[in-house]
Amino acid sequence: MKDHLERRMTTTDLNRMTARNVQVYYGQNHALKDVDVDILDKTVTAFIGPSGCGKSTFLRCLNRMNDTIQGASVEGQILLEGEDIYDRRVDPVQLRAKVGMVFQKPNPFPKSVYDNVAYGPRIHGLARSKAELDQIVESSLRRAALWNEVKDRLTAPGTGLSGGQQQRLCIARAVATNPEVLLMDEPCSALDPIATAQVEELIDELRANFSVVIVTHSMQQAARVSQKTAFFHLGHLVEYGDTTQIFTKPRDPRTEAYITGRIG
Amino acid sequence: MTAPTRSLLVADARTKARNRAEARFRAYGLAAILLSVTLLGILLVSILSNGLSAFRQTEIAIPVTLDAALVDKGGKGDPASLRATSATAYGKLIAKALKDELARRSIPTGGLSDKDIAALISEQAGADLRNRVLGDPRLVGQTVTVDGLATGRIDGYFKGRVTLESAEKDSKIKPEQLHLADAMRDAGMMALRFNSGFLTNPDASEKRPEAAGLGVAIVGSLYMMIVVLGLSLPIGVAAAVYLEEFAPKNRFTDLIEVNIANLAAVPSIVFGILGLAAFINFAGLPRSAPLVGGLVLTLMTLPRIIIPARAALKAVPPSIRDAALGIGASRMQSVFHHVLPLAAPGILTGMIIGLAQALGETAPLLLIGMVAFVRDMPGLPPGGFLDPATALPVQVYNWTQRADPAFTERASGAIIVLLAFLLIMNAAAILLRRRFERRW
Repeated sequence: MKDHLERRMTTTDLNRMTARNVQVYYGQNHALKDVDVDILDKTVTAFIGPSGCGKSTFLRCLNRMNDTIQGASVEGQILLEGEDIYDRRVDPVQLRAKVGMVFQKPNPFPKSVYDNVAYGPRIHGLARSKAELDQIVESSLRRAALWNEVKDRLTAPGTGLSGGQQQRLCIARAVATNPEVLLMDEPCSALDPIATAQVEELIDELRANFSVVIVTHSMQQAARVSQKTAFFHLGHLVEYGDTTQIFTKPRDPRTEAYITGRIG
Repeated sequence: MTAPTRSLLVADARTKARNRAEARFRAYGLAAILLSVTLLGILLVSILSNGLSAFRQTEIAIPVTLDAALVDKGGKGDPASLRATSATAYGKLIAKALKDELARRSIPTGGLSDKDIAALISEQAGADLRNRVLGDPRLVGQTVTVDGLATGRIDGYFKGRVTLESAEKDSKIKPEQLHLADAMRDAGMMALRFNSGFLTNPDASEKRPEAAGLGVAIVGSLYMMIVVLGLSLPIGVAAAVYLEEFAPKNRFTDLIEVNIANLAAVPSIVFGILGLAAFINFAGLPRSAPLVGGLVLTLMTLPRIIIPARAALKAVPPSIRDAALGIGASRMQSVFHHVLPLAAPGILTGMIIGLAQALGETAPLLLIGMVAFVRDMPGLPPGGFLDPATALPVQVYNWTQRADPAFTERASGAIIVLLAFLLIMNAAAILLRRRFERRW
């Protein structure tokens, strides 16, 4: 499997993030073993696999959200634009401005729609004036396909929106800091089918500006939105490749078993 | 074999038994509520019926001529020479004026001696008149109307505490004096008025319960609450935030957590001993000072603030922290911008309950000398924090120890004042919660 990766690596020169030999431990528990993944620019990468396989854990390694979990430790190398994000000199706060994250459950702040989106630019000092901030809020909400629905109630609380709108608000909040990579941890699992379709469409549009990494339980969703897919099983990265290849000609029997519904 | 089908219209035995159990349980609950409401009602009625009369006081209106020859023996009219006249001299002046007034209105004295007539008026009246003259020396030579306090027994007679029968056996009052008081009331000389002195006067000695007030106790309690609020809010919230949001979870922080929980259960008098040793004996702060009382109550209140504050912080969903961290907020930004505002209503409620407990605390204050008899009003802050003072619950304790039944009425009145303060604080807590909650 190593040589697949190496062969593919030579074909791409637009790597945003590179993970090599990543190990994650939760205390004594070796949760993630020998993971090598490349996150390509302007690409949607999907992580699939059964529950507890380590896909969310790996996602949280990419912006060091695992730092907040007591007893978690990460080994190996994860590079963002050639820089090791686990280097001693890296401040995770700066990293997370570059690698944004959207969570499983919509979690808008209990503030107004405007303040939700403006929070990131404010704390990172991205806007020099109120007009500039208004501009960032509007463009972020437009990118998240939410502007038309909320433009008349920017001062209404973000928690008062519907579930799908809340999740798009969280996406707008994440893109407002202009990250390079956007991580999404099962962003549609709490949404109804219509909201899911809207968010999926949105993910496809976001690809134009960001590289997107999405963790999903739904293989159909992975097939619909992603160009690259990584299949995790029991803490191992089993297979990583083009989405079409993974779903049509899986190389590993475990991948085949999973996508045909025999495991997981 | 299939079970025989039963009609839904007839409840079976099991269902009936379950329904009966539920009905019994509801009855127990209702009985518990009724019992507690009744007990609360009895408490309130007893306190109000005993204590409300403390807010009214019998006063005797007497025109007194401030003869310069008697009041200002030095004859210079300056404060120094006015000061030479004692309160007792003013008392005699008032007693004479009362006798003259009774004669002028031709109210029969029933053969009472001059001394017995003078005994209708509190000794405090002379002191009050002296203070009035010292405050305004131009009064010398004029005739002023003195609203002198009646003695506790006369006051008790109008409030129903003293009767003609009890006066027969009482060495301090004669039935004839009560008849005279009745006549004076009918003549309009004597009446029950609102007792503003109860809220402003300092405590008074055993012999003049009619003059005793809560002024020093209210100021002392207020100063202590300022100290407690000023210290325990920042320290308590900072400790809770650090322990909940920043501290690593290890054996040491576990130890701290257990100790905080234990401290909350330590009897308050232990904090009094600690305060006596640490603040008075070691640090050399003065006894009876509101600052020391406030420090001791802060020690006692801190664990009671930290525990609910931590619970409030813990109740904030972790997704909010993730959301803030996920867009690159620092740990502190996520706490201060998002977690703390969400936890604020809970923290405030804990704070107010802690303060209310501190306000009602007596035992530790006894040990640091706040039980002393204090006549002088503490000064303005900051100096006033070191002046001797007492506290509301200590004043209640103090008055219930006195022999004269007039003090029992005052103790109940003081409890009403204390309850009013607690109600105000709880109302403030509710208002603050509403205000904070409405923002989201």
